[in-house]
Amino acid sequence: MSAPVLRIAGPDLEIILEHCRRELPNEACGILGGRDGRVGSVHPVKSASPSPSRFVMDPKGQFRALEEVSRAGLELLGIYHSHPGGPAEPSGIDLEEAFWPATTLPNYPGAFQVIVSLREPAAPVVKGYVPVAGAFVEAPVIIDHRPFPAD
Amino acid sequence: MPVTVRIPTPLQRLTGGNSEVACNAANISELLEALEKEHPGLRERLTEGGKVRRFINIYLNGEDIRTLGAETTALKDGDTVAIIAAIAGGSGRVTSFF
Repeated sequence: MSAPVLRIAGPDLEIILEHCRRELPNEACGILGGRDGRVGSVHPVKSASPSPSRFVMDPKGQFRALEEVSRAGLELLGIYHSHPGGPAEPSGIDLEEAFWPATTLPNYPGAFQVIVSLREPAAPVVKGYVPVAGAFVEAPVIIDHRPFPAD
Repeated sequence: MPVTVRIPTPLQRLTGGNSEVACNAANISELLEALEKEHPGLRERLTEGGKVRRFINIYLNGEDIRTLGAETTALKDGDTVAIIAAIAGGSGRVTSFF
């Protein structure tokens, strides 16, 4: 099995970065639809209680975004959020929230975690991870200029 | 026609791998009891002290039950209940930008 790679078109990455900058000083969050490791849609979601150090997706917004992905015939490919003042690495909170409590089972198996560091807002750092057996393993995020493939 | 319940992936090993199960119940509390009878172990993973756990969202026909009647939210035949893990996280760091 080849190692997971997340491929995203430049304009889609720009939607994520613009959303993350717009939410400063708070964290931003959203969902990525796609298939076969290619992002096909970006769905920014409101945080239920905006904070510079924490995010919890608004439950209704989360549901709506997941439905949009499903209606488009795509899969939940990833979840993104920003670290306004921290590195693009999963924190203890990220780890705790990504797995079902007291298990090593990811809440969203196979979904990439994309973390955007805005320590330098003009030079954001974007890194991807996949949840595996109670931990995150880094997975490359690659800009892909090809059009998203039709069904 | 019973209620359709969508089960989150990490708990599908308790429902024989099924992503959806059918259930007869008049409200969310009864639904959680009925799920436990059919699929032992589900309720303790979904509730704590009789309340739905903080990191779990339950939706009735797309509406978060916390904005309806929480565990007392009434159900009727043909409803769809979706059990979905909340998506949360964060750096845990506070940095002043301004």
